[in-house]
Amino acid sequence: MSKYLLKRFLLMFPTLLGVAVVIFVLIRVIPGDVVELRMSGDRGSASQQAIDEERVRFGLDQPVWKQFATWVWGVVRLDFGTSMWTGAPIGEEIKLRFALSMQVAIMATIVAVLLAIPLGVVAALKQDTWVDYAVRIFSIAGLATPSFWLGIVFILLLLIVFKWLPPMVYTPFWVNPWQNLLQLVWPALAVGYRYSAVATRMTRSAMLEVLREDYIRTARAKGLVQKLVLSRHALKNAMLPVMTVIGLEFAFLLGGLVVTEQVFNLNGLGLLFVQAVAHRDYTLIQALVMIVSGFFILVNFVMDVMYAWLDPRIRYR
Amino acid sequence: MRRYAGTLAGLLAVALLALPAAAQDKPRLGGELIFAVPSQPPSYDGHQEETFGLIHPVAPHYSTLLRVDPFDKTGTKPVGDLAESWTISKDGLVYTFKIRKGVKFHDGGELTAKDVKASYDKIIFPPAGVKSLRKAAYAAVAAVEAPDASTARFKLKWPESSFLLNLASPWNFIYKADILAKDIRWYEKNVMGTGPFKFVEHVKGSHWVGKKNPDYWDKGKPYLDGYRALFISSSSAQVAAVRGERAHIQFRGFTPADRDSLVAALGPKIAVQESAWDCALMVAMHHEKKPFDDKRVRRALTLALDRWEASKNLSKIAIVRDVAGIQVPGTPYATPPEELKKLAGYRPDINASRAEAKRLLKEAGVPEGFSFTFKNRGIPQPYEPIGIWLIDQWKQIGLNVKQEIIEASAYHPMLKRGDFEAAMDFQCGFIVEPDLDLGRFLTNSDANYGKHKDVAIDDLYQRQARATDPEERKKILRVLEKRLLDEEVHVMYTLQWHRIIPHSAKVKGWTITPSHYLNNQLDTVWLTE
Repeated sequence: MSKYLLKRFLLMFPTLLGVAVVIFVLIRVIPGDVVELRMSGDRGSASQQAIDEERVRFGLDQPVWKQFATWVWGVVRLDFGTSMWTGAPIGEEIKLRFALSMQVAIMATIVAVLLAIPLGVVAALKQDTWVDYAVRIFSIAGLATPSFWLGIVFILLLLIVFKWLPPMVYTPFWVNPWQNLLQLVWPALAVGYRYSAVATRMTRSAMLEVLREDYIRTARAKGLVQKLVLSRHALKNAMLPVMTVIGLEFAFLLGGLVVTEQVFNLNGLGLLFVQAVAHRDYTLIQALVMIVSGFFILVNFVMDVMYAWLDPRIRYR
Repeated sequence: MRRYAGTLAGLLAVALLALPAAAQDKPRLGGELIFAVPSQPPSYDGHQEETFGLIHPVAPHYSTLLRVDPFDKTGTKPVGDLAESWTISKDGLVYTFKIRKGVKFHDGGELTAKDVKASYDKIIFPPAGVKSLRKAAYAAVAAVEAPDASTARFKLKWPESSFLLNLASPWNFIYKADILAKDIRWYEKNVMGTGPFKFVEHVKGSHWVGKKNPDYWDKGKPYLDGYRALFISSSSAQVAAVRGERAHIQFRGFTPADRDSLVAALGPKIAVQESAWDCALMVAMHHEKKPFDDKRVRRALTLALDRWEASKNLSKIAIVRDVAGIQVPGTPYATPPEELKKLAGYRPDINASRAEAKRLLKEAGVPEGFSFTFKNRGIPQPYEPIGIWLIDQWKQIGLNVKQEIIEASAYHPMLKRGDFEAAMDFQCGFIVEPDLDLGRFLTNSDANYGKHKDVAIDDLYQRQARATDPEERKKILRVLEKRLLDEEVHVMYTLQWHRIIPHSAKVKGWTITPSHYLNNQLDTVWLTE
């Protein structure tokens, strides 16, 4: 078990290094330049001399390998540098946005799990009945509905019917829980619904597969009550693929809610990502990619640990 | 007597009707103005930035030497801000400003001419490594002096007609000399001025808060207790914010469709102010690429445009409206309509213009169906509708134009590289002033993307810049305009942008101007409830 976990843990580092190389090169290949963008403004003009001076200030006149080495050395020391657009430390730029995105991700995951697991289990148990059909329609509709569209519908409904709009400024939960929930419950519902649709489908199919296994039949033959058969034997085993889906979706939510964040004007990582790319803010883009991919890798690692806990065959391998 | 009685009764009735209006027009103290800002400030230093994302939330913290009259709709009338009065020497080479006494910085320190000098030295003569975007605009300045605490003096190398207005630039915040002496970059990350509002907080990507400065030099102002700027990038979220009364106003501008939806939803709770906008989309044609090196071809391209018809139709869907020359309509140096109609591409008879365009293309040896690529910036408003319109218009004279949309971030480098045949060029100004708007057309300008070489334009520009008599300046400008847009067609203007600000009817004391960089100090703004 420990050998398995150690192997998984050590694999994280070459993956991160690969990500670092790819993002560093890619962002420099695409046309556009943070200095020209920042200096041209709305008037669309800036002297070449001023642009060159600014490039020197950012170290962009250095050879690419040197820029990469400087950056990686900083990352190793957990120093991501400063934003080329705002001049503020990257940590300062990300801190608040990370908290908001993490909370939306957690809330959407709670919504998704609360909907997906009961619905998926019920649909599997009542296969091909009206209950199953209703759950299937609900989940397919969720898959077919983009979160941002549902978000727009929420906003319009609140505006037109209730003449009310959620708060537009993020208040941390510990400062004012009510204000915080008033703002974040809507995106969490919009995102959680689509998320739950994926997980419901997965729960249903995994449950159907597990319920046909020999050990379930054996458990029933031993005279175990249905509740225990489901909770101890069926659900635990069916959860393996469901956990994978939930884990990956959770990691995705951290930086992938670009449009939903725009619709609800959430000051999250997704929006910051888009702005950083639009500004060609190299240092910020690199830091965000490293953080989000690091989070993905970490979630995968946690999933691996969960797998080992849920499935003894992995543990004893 | 009966006749007088009737007149008196009429006057009384008018007076009674006017009473509620007069009461309403009396500024009310208190309240927090909430406005949406579609962009964000990169740094906090106005001297080195060029985005309204800085001006809108930051301007209320600062004063400038002069400012543009907040009630002047043309946005071209300079009035004193920190300057109480000023004199100009007869030769136009020395400007002397009397600085107000008793003006206090937000840290309690007193403002003197020394602070004005230090701030302008930073703008005009920045030390190595310090960025100043508007340094070139003050090339005429030889020195800035502060002979005593209440006098600031600018010495010029040559007279410049735009100088006074240029000193009303909303970017030229007056900083504290002592702070600049200790750390010239301090203002990049900190805020401390003499403006009507003190800085409270900036939560990056979220909001900016300012509170009333009780020691503001203009006693009785500001009327508001404070303000809150919400950074909202999505235009639909901005509209929702105003509609849901989460924001009173957004100072940049909305589309005609947004205006209509807000008016339909909020009725009398919304007020709308509109103005010609000091922003223009132009077509740059690369003078070193065939066939655009031939002025007959360039002239044909501008003759194909039915600007008058477009003005009627595009203004319904895009943020453009007026047909204009080199200056914003309604401003002092704008082209009179009768003059405008004499320029190529501005004549009312579009059929005659297009017939001439076809003839010119034929003479230049451009075959029917000639195709070229027009590069456009990947921004919806108003680039997309204007781009589509241009292609349609050029098709009317037998040209086959392919549009290539370039992502906004990569657009400016593309223009600078000259990697285009014809491309959309753009400009937004902070004050309508020929010197500021036309400098880009000089042969050696970094923004001369079409790479034309025209000493006549250079000469006319210099002459108008140094003309101290406004009438003489107008005449020179008309000659310059004719050469630029008609005889040589170095560039072609499309339609003037149109600024539309629908805002809560509770907001009073704010007047729209042609520039979205102006009138953001908020000292005159008040809320009815």
